[in-house]
Amino acid sequence: MKRAAQITVFVPGPLRECCAGAAELSLTAANVRAALAELERTRPALHRSVCDETGAVRRHINLFVNEQHMRDCNGLDTPLSSGDTVVILPAVSGG
Amino acid sequence: MANRIILTIGTKKGLFVAESSSARERFQLRGPFGSGVSVYSALVDSRGTPRIYASSCNPFFGMKVLRSTDLGRTFKQTKAAPAFPKDDGRALANIWSLVPGDGKKELWCGVEPAALFHSSDGGDSWELVPGISNHEHARKWHPGNGGLCMHTIVRDGQRMHLGISTGGHYLSEDGGQTFAASNKGVGAGFVPDPYPEFGQCVHKIARHKDAPGRLYMQNHGGWSEWSGPGGPRPGIGVLRSDDHGKSWHSIAKGLPSDFGFPIVVHPHDPDVVYVAPLEPMTRTCPGGAPAIWRSENGGNSWRKLTKGLPKKESFFTILRDGMDVDELKSPALYFGTTTGQLWIGRDGGEQWDCLFDSLPPIHCVKVAAV
Repeated sequence: MKRAAQITVFVPGPLRECCAGAAELSLTAANVRAALAELERTRPALHRSVCDETGAVRRHINLFVNEQHMRDCNGLDTPLSSGDTVVILPAVSGG
Repeated sequence: MANRIILTIGTKKGLFVAESSSARERFQLRGPFGSGVSVYSALVDSRGTPRIYASSCNPFFGMKVLRSTDLGRTFKQTKAAPAFPKDDGRALANIWSLVPGDGKKELWCGVEPAALFHSSDGGDSWELVPGISNHEHARKWHPGNGGLCMHTIVRDGQRMHLGISTGGHYLSEDGGQTFAASNKGVGAGFVPDPYPEFGQCVHKIARHKDAPGRLYMQNHGGWSEWSGPGGPRPGIGVLRSDDHGKSWHSIAKGLPSDFGFPIVVHPHDPDVVYVAPLEPMTRTCPGGAPAIWRSENGGNSWRKLTKGLPKKESFFTILRDGMDVDELKSPALYFGTTTGQLWIGRDGGEQWDCLFDSLPPIHCVKVAAV
């Protein structure tokens, strides 16, 4: 089992009010799923804006590990290494 | 004594607030509030210190509830929005209805997928109301064109009436603990059985506080020419109940169409009711000529109100929460359109004027005197 790594979560502008204005959060997690679980524990308002009640990442939210979309890796089970950045970005859509 | 009129206008691009003196001559517009995303429900809660609540349907970051304590000059998110329990399997898709409870900070909230939530702290925390949200019918309801939404909450002491599209009318007589489908006489045109136990596409329900037992319903009409199984279903779109919603009968005779979305009752006369008939196929103004229709005898006959409205080439829709009436001595009606116009009908709808003509598409209009 992979050991938890020290990673950074990048928070987009519209969600920074959920974490006292912080653009980046440091946390420890072995994969994306664990990172989201840690956000749920420590930053519930931010987590609620990224995931719905079922735990699914919201439809119009994209999560990248560094520059790779998590869906192109191993989804929520994408492993994280020390120094990685998990980037939360709203999808490009509109109307 | 109320001396201000506060009008909330929920649109595709956020919430606007318009304010006027009680003369209602000029309205000042503020907004948009709420990140420029859709607002489907609002509440001007005039109990005690006035508060304005609005839903904010953020397609990116989920549902939020906005609250203002300064008559809509500023809004902040409440500490939490309604949310299903983690193991429920459902996820909140929209907030369709916000109504006050008995306590000053008590709120009820109808959501999509159809479920009911309750808050006792002004929207900072919410709990699922299981009597309807986990009703044995709940997993059998189907979404209508607007989604599977609980859009109407009408309270009458221990009675609570819910309108669900498409679930029908549900009635609680124990303050919201338990609910039963109560759709006798409420037709459906999209299923073989014209009068099913539940599953109707109710669009809106309204009542007058001084008329015990009287309810009006705008149901999904437009089925008079249906020729399939079960035969035509004329007049099922506009209904009335005189027994607390236990049974319903048509009051659509005399209207150009029994299809529409909102239904509104005069604040001082329970026999006066307003509807906005639409052409059922396009869901726009019949013949391109908008009109609000008023009955002064509980729906036995209807009169068209058009003075000041366009005479032609207007093909907008007024959505289910897009019309409201204030409570001044000579009340004014207000309706918002999917083309972004906000109209006022002074003197109970006798004279119409366009207050704002270029707002984003309007989902809901709520008014209160404060």
